[in-house]
Amino acid sequence: MPITVGIPRALLYHDFGELWHSFFSHLAVPVIVSEETNKRLLDRGTTLAVDESCLPLKLYLGHAESLLGRCDRLFVPRIVQHHQGFHFCAKFAGLPDIVRNTFHLPESKLISPVIQTGARSEILKAAAAAARSAGKTPWSGWRSYRSAYTAWAQARDREVPSGNAFTPRIAVIGHSYLLKDRFLCGDIFAVLKANSVTPVTDDEVPRRRLYQEAGHFAPDIYWQMAAKLAGSARYFAHHPAIAGLILVSSFGCGLDSLSLEYIEQQILGSCGKPYIVLNLDEHTGRTGIITRVEAFWDLVKWRRKLESNLPAYGLSQRPHPLYDGELEY
Amino acid sequence: MGYLSAPIRYMMENLNIEVIEPPPITRKTLELGTQHSPEGVCLPYKITMGNFLESLEAGADTLVTLCGAGKCRFGFYGAVQKTVLGKNRDIQFFTLDTEHLLRDLQRLLGKFAPKAGQLAIGRNIALTVHKLRALDAINEAKSFYGARAAVPQKTLDICEYGAGEIANCETFGEVIDTRDTVIDVMRSYEQPAAAPPKVAFVGEFYVLLEPYANRWLENELIKQGLEVKKFVYTGNWAYAKVLLQTLGIYNEEKEYLREARPYLNYHVGGDGLKSVGTTAWCASRGFAGVIHLFPFGCMPEVVAQYALKNLCEDYKLPLLTLSVDEHASDTGLFTRLEAFADCLKRKQSLTSE
Repeated sequence: MPITVGIPRALLYHDFGELWHSFFSHLAVPVIVSEETNKRLLDRGTTLAVDESCLPLKLYLGHAESLLGRCDRLFVPRIVQHHQGFHFCAKFAGLPDIVRNTFHLPESKLISPVIQTGARSEILKAAAAAARSAGKTPWSGWRSYRSAYTAWAQARDREVPSGNAFTPRIAVIGHSYLLKDRFLCGDIFAVLKANSVTPVTDDEVPRRRLYQEAGHFAPDIYWQMAAKLAGSARYFAHHPAIAGLILVSSFGCGLDSLSLEYIEQQILGSCGKPYIVLNLDEHTGRTGIITRVEAFWDLVKWRRKLESNLPAYGLSQRPHPLYDGELEY
Repeated sequence: MGYLSAPIRYMMENLNIEVIEPPPITRKTLELGTQHSPEGVCLPYKITMGNFLESLEAGADTLVTLCGAGKCRFGFYGAVQKTVLGKNRDIQFFTLDTEHLLRDLQRLLGKFAPKAGQLAIGRNIALTVHKLRALDAINEAKSFYGARAAVPQKTLDICEYGAGEIANCETFGEVIDTRDTVIDVMRSYEQPAAAPPKVAFVGEFYVLLEPYANRWLENELIKQGLEVKKFVYTGNWAYAKVLLQTLGIYNEEKEYLREARPYLNYHVGGDGLKSVGTTAWCASRGFAGVIHLFPFGCMPEVVAQYALKNLCEDYKLPLLTLSVDEHASDTGLFTRLEAFADCLKRKQSLTSE
């Protein structure tokens, strides 16, 4: 009797989903993924979760519940640390426990490999464990992981096409589980596109470059996801083609509550570009987001018009030291 | 934080370092801190921010705080506070890494008090840890004898007076003598009666230990006639971090992990695992109830909450979950607490009949 594995389309699925998919398909284990986020899933998640959980976690539980009757095992990895010196947030480390406690599931119902240092041997161990809980041999787990990883890493590291630098571009910065969820962030991109602005995300920046930028904040930031955010904020803030930055966060996100303050203080406050922080929560009225993005775009337009009337250094840079009064428009 | 400041102040002054102790935490501290903090951050950040701002007002030019990378936000406090406070101000900011507390503390004190020898610094650190552990002991005794006293307020007053005495002791022997005297005095108020219901107080480190953050809940419970058992103590923590971890024999976590299975199977940062582990321990040892206390939005404790819900349901253990933030008014907390205390007493009287 073959086993079906269910993967919730939330949290790290948006980063590693393709890798997980091809791992299981190499193992010849059928996979079902929950549907795209919708209001019903969000409502179920909000009901199931502990009140103070963050929005993405509530969504995750909604997705997990929708899979329960349809698969034999849920794939809920425990990801603690992937690169030396960088941590994930507490909720990723406790994710399998959260799922088990919420749905009263026995341990055997879950496939939850542990990634805790990112060492190669450990990842192989995790692949073997995942294969074993899916009813396959450890050896096939290693082989599947190897072929899945090679293909995935190749696709990830390919050159990213850079857009036309002459049209104004707005950088949208946030965790990929927010940005890639069409239900949560679709409106932001739609409004920008409707105004013929090309949005950019950190997908278009080579990963190496992102972490290089993040290296400037080295000992301070010790979360991988916050480092990625700070890296892309720094990259986009200094990129000449970027006219403004939209930072997306979610209510209850512990990382963002501090790291966005840090990014504002260290990068955005002094870069001279307009930026906005959008905080998402489980209220699904779309107008609030649309209005704010439109207002932000108006601001960017005014700023660009103003800058074309100003001396060469523009508004984006500090006024000349000899000119110590307020700038008069 | 709790009674941490008095012995540390004594240690610094003993080494001839000028210390500006932030004024006691008040409504004003919290409001000031909240004003200068991001909205969604947890309560300890806001309070410590308020402490820093008030000490700067009082003339401090060097700030010291703890940090340590992990899954929880606490390790990041220092970096953000340094950036925010360092704006338009000429201050020095030091962080002590909790993973290497003894090393960092020795270096820092060596810097501030260049004339003091390493031996004097070492002795002062040891004396401070010793004092903190004595304070732990009298606080534990306060809860035990306070719940059994006719007038619990008296026991609370004795404890507070004793804490001040211990902070100013000069030798190891003096600390032990004072501690024993204080405990003896408390014991003399004990009433021979039936054992009061025992309540475990679990949750996040800072709000459990800082009486302002938890609105003196512990004293309030004692006044209600409940015996409170805490599993985190300032002195114990300092002892574990300064001595045991330096020697590499600190393995408390393993025990908590064993207790917490199968509800929580991994260390989730902060005190999340500890909360679940100690609750599981209490469940099999006849505790009447558990109070889970944490700052609003605390990442590790939210994970712990999922486990605690099931654990307490399975063991039929009453659980009161309290999350505190800057809006917490005493009345809201106390009403819930009184109701909880009533439930426990009622349950006890029903089962004893």
